[in-house]
Amino acid sequence: MISIKNLHASIDGKEILKGINLDVKAGEVHAIMGPNGSGKSTLSAVLAGNEDYEITDGSVDFMGEDLLEFSTEERSRMGIFLAFQYPIEIPGVSNMNFLRTAINETRESKGEDPIAAKEFLAKVKEKSALVELDNSLLKRYVNEGFSGGEKKRNEIFQMAMLEPKLAILDETDSGLDIDALKIVSHGVNTLKTKDNATVVITHYQRLLDHIVPDFVHVLYKGKIVKSGGKELALELEEKGYDWIKEEINA
Amino acid sequence: MSSTLTTNKVEEFVSHIAENNLAVWNELPNFRKSGVEALKNLSFPTTKDEYWKYSRTTKITKNQYKFDQIDSANINLDEVRVAGLDTYEIVMVNGFLNTELSNLPKNDSITIKSFEECTTEELTTYFSQNLDTITNFFSALNTAYFSEGIMVIAKGVCDKPVHLIHYSEGESVISQPRNIFVTEKNSELSIIKSSINKNTNNYFYNSVNEFFIGENSHINYYVIQNYEEGMNVMSTNVATQENNSTFSAFNYTLKGDWIRNNTNVFVKGEHCESNLYGAYQPTGREHIDNHTIMDHIMPNCESNEHYKGTVGDKATGVFNGKVFVRKDAQKINAFQSNNNILLSDDATMNSKPELEIYADDVKCSHGSTSGQLDEEAVFYLQSRGLSKESATALLISAFLGEVVEKIKIPELKEKVLEIYGME
Repeated sequence: MISIKNLHASIDGKEILKGINLDVKAGEVHAIMGPNGSGKSTLSAVLAGNEDYEITDGSVDFMGEDLLEFSTEERSRMGIFLAFQYPIEIPGVSNMNFLRTAINETRESKGEDPIAAKEFLAKVKEKSALVELDNSLLKRYVNEGFSGGEKKRNEIFQMAMLEPKLAILDETDSGLDIDALKIVSHGVNTLKTKDNATVVITHYQRLLDHIVPDFVHVLYKGKIVKSGGKELALELEEKGYDWIKEEINA
Repeated sequence: MSSTLTTNKVEEFVSHIAENNLAVWNELPNFRKSGVEALKNLSFPTTKDEYWKYSRTTKITKNQYKFDQIDSANINLDEVRVAGLDTYEIVMVNGFLNTELSNLPKNDSITIKSFEECTTEELTTYFSQNLDTITNFFSALNTAYFSEGIMVIAKGVCDKPVHLIHYSEGESVISQPRNIFVTEKNSELSIIKSSINKNTNNYFYNSVNEFFIGENSHINYYVIQNYEEGMNVMSTNVATQENNSTFSAFNYTLKGDWIRNNTNVFVKGEHCESNLYGAYQPTGREHIDNHTIMDHIMPNCESNEHYKGTVGDKATGVFNGKVFVRKDAQKINAFQSNNNILLSDDATMNSKPELEIYADDVKCSHGSTSGQLDEEAVFYLQSRGLSKESATALLISAFLGEVVEKIKIPELKEKVLEIYGME
């Protein structure tokens, strides 16, 4: 589905990603772990098309297209979804209005008609139930005054509404208590099919008890330095990142 | 030396306006006199005057103007009418009342009439009572040479809003309408002020609106400024409130080459509420200036003021809001804020909130912010499939929409949302 080759990216002249290689196939769940400052969030921002970052080398193939050639909104319409670590509050824009606009602009780009009001409402009802997002929150302004857990559930709700091919969850577990974590994980697991893929970026193994990865990668100093199965996450949880740092720096 | 020169310039400017041999100059001479006298001692405002610091008036004062009463057969007012809303209409064409196009009631709850139909007592009671003609050149100019005066007197709860429509057309034309709105005890009145201009060039519109809000009465005053090119607009609004009254002014500026709005509220009664809301979005090289004075003279009152704007291209926005809380005005809640978004590097916003408090038991706050559009929010919306343009438009709508949402007439709110492209 996505094939990242030798990806280098920098911000304000400082190189953060120093040659990332990663292949994700349909139906797979990949976890990317690593200590703070290793480049995890940069990777997700770059894939989503954040223009603050400059791509200095490498390529990203997404379903046969050169992803780096496309704007953020085009990438979204192609099927890339980024669940933000810190979802943005947008006062004055209602959740519903925002989602309807997002869905309709995506449909319009594919030459499809706008979604019918009835169909939209039915879908909202179904998908919000999935993450137990209260109806009153849907009518409110995007993320404004939401608790940390509500913001993260709102991200997964948007993901459910937009039905992406590739979902990148950037530290979706950060700040969640165990109940919220279970709800979010249940949502992600339910949305999983053989045709889509998920990349879970996390600092902690805890999330991976609930969203079980097929592969685990360790990102350190802008490179993937170790890959393995889900047992690698457990090893990291137990031993921390120091042994990896030592291995690399040796 | 220089002062003589200035006086000559003012004299020359005024003489061109006065020399139109209009019959109206012979009407109400005693009322015009204070303006005529004041003009003899006034010079054009300059940016050295604090009150005019950010707005140059040379654009207006360097030209010569004439009054022009035009044939109104082909005038179509549909574009400013509010769908689904029945209103009384006062139609002014180049500053003169057009009785054929107007729909003026004279019933138990509301009377609308021209100054000529008013009694001397009515005019003496209200005309120019709270207007600064001593230092304000443009107010004096209107007082001396207003083209037509209309008085609206509400005696009860009005069944329909009054729609004041100003139609402007022509080159180097001056329009100086004068309006007095009176709400007597226990009455209620909504006013909508709209404008249409066609083929205007170097047009100078200088209006004065005086409001007298009687005991336990309420005025909602909605102004929609959506001008085509060629208009310079000076709009002065002065309101006086008595006990238990409410005055709410809503000012929506969409387009206009050069606009200066002065809105001053004098709260002379207790238990009053005053609301001033405004939205503006100058683009191109437009210049939009909102000056307000909120003067609390009596205790136990509340005022809310919120102006929001986006400034794009090489445009300039100005906000100057002054709140006074006088010595005897205890237990006042006065809030003021001004928020701006600059959409380009060449855009300018001058924001100056001012607060002068002479009482000691009051709750007041004021604040001003000017910033850029939240780029993180734009990215967030884009990441959900919205184009950059619609993400930006959505954020601007959300920003200005807060002030548009204040409109209390649903049909009018819908119309304003529509002209802002917020639907």
